[in-house]
Amino acid sequence: MNREELIKKWLDHNLNPDEQKAFEGLEDYKDLIRLSESVEDFKSPNFDSEEVYAEIKSSLKPKTTKNWIRSLLRVAAALIIGFSLFYYNSTLDTQIETSIAQETTVSLPDASTVALNAQSTLTYNKKSWSDKREVLLNGEAFFKVAKGSKFDVITTDGKVSVLGTQFNVVQHDNYFEVTCFEGLVAVSYNSESIKLKPGNRFAIIDGVIKNELESLQKPSWLHSESSFKNRSLKHVLSELKRHYDVTIDASKIDVEELFTGTFTHKNLDLALQSITSPLGIAYTKSNSVIVLKSE
Amino acid sequence: MPKAIHENSCQEHLYSALFRKHSKNLHDFLYYKFGSHLNPKDKVQDAFIKLWDNCKKVPPEKAKSFLFTTANNLMLNAVAHQKVVLKHHKNPRKNSTNESPEFILEEKQYSEKLQKALENLTEAQRVAFLMNRAEGKRFKEIAELLDISVKAVEKRIYGALKKLRENIDEL
Repeated sequence: MNREELIKKWLDHNLNPDEQKAFEGLEDYKDLIRLSESVEDFKSPNFDSEEVYAEIKSSLKPKTTKNWIRSLLRVAAALIIGFSLFYYNSTLDTQIETSIAQETTVSLPDASTVALNAQSTLTYNKKSWSDKREVLLNGEAFFKVAKGSKFDVITTDGKVSVLGTQFNVVQHDNYFEVTCFEGLVAVSYNSESIKLKPGNRFAIIDGVIKNELESLQKPSWLHSESSFKNRSLKHVLSELKRHYDVTIDASKIDVEELFTGTFTHKNLDLALQSITSPLGIAYTKSNSVIVLKSE
Repeated sequence: MPKAIHENSCQEHLYSALFRKHSKNLHDFLYYKFGSHLNPKDKVQDAFIKLWDNCKKVPPEKAKSFLFTTANNLMLNAVAHQKVVLKHHKNPRKNSTNESPEFILEEKQYSEKLQKALENLTEAQRVAFLMNRAEGKRFKEIAELLDISVKAVEKRIYGALKKLRENIDEL
């Protein structure tokens, strides 16, 4: 083995014992070792990779991509919440409410319309409308029902089912009244079913069933008047209170007395006169308190 | 071609493993090539931060060459701005017990000569030679580190040795 090869092997830290001996026998062995040892003085300064890593660790921006599954889940969760809110909203019932002296007309998802009298609530569901034409009523409303499948008006006192027709439904405390103006109306009450023809009225007032006739083409309240035929004064006064924001003291008169007549929704004094004069009742009015007494 | 298990270096445990594996070698490479005055440690850090920023584009098996290229370029940019003479810091001598003043003087002179001679080597020779002599790396390791053949490393180191000896004798 020649000199150069030996030196190269030495440089590569790859001498076997024999070669090591041969290398040590080289004339410039000492020079080489001296050089090599001196070079070690030029070794790079200590580099502690753990320490340096700790130094840069803080300057590393966190990678969002590391958690792409997590971000995907976040997006998915947001979408699910969004969709369920949308679905929940779209399946939610629609409710229309009128306050005292307020009347409104509601268009239902089909061509049917509902005129809602004062202090009444109408609830229906847009989503299930095509399957089931059904409204919940509290108060008084006049229905113009477009021809189609069965149309149900559900009240706490009874259910009114129709096909295509015009009718008026009133439901207040102890007062349930259905008047048919066109077509045919079926009224279910305590598992009984009554069919109403146009011009007929079915009423349950204070538990008493009444079958009456109606000559008008439309309920009078649509022209801002309330009409009564043989109704107790208490129901008349209740209706008055639904159209005028007043308090009525009727403790000194007989509220069971029957009243037949009409009062307007536009003028309180006129309305009070319409109610009191036929019955021989006097009234005094201060602010919004009305006191009734016998003349 | 089999798909790499780890597609990029964005996972922190992978990244820190890369740091542990390459940072010291990278530092030494920069140090032996450019000297100490351009702060090789800073360049190592900068290169690793660049790796993190680009972790999606750099698969771990490409990380080493990315780091070496990046750090080298950082150094070259710095060199372009300030041309400074290379200077190797002398580490304190390990066993300086009971040596005669003549010996110490001679050692000092030798060391100065050696330093000059090292500065006169080409960058390629100096890096390979010091990796070998000062860091005790074998040819194969250096070849892998520099992405060159073992033969080329041997040539560089042997050439460096020859040149050093000639230079020292001259001085």
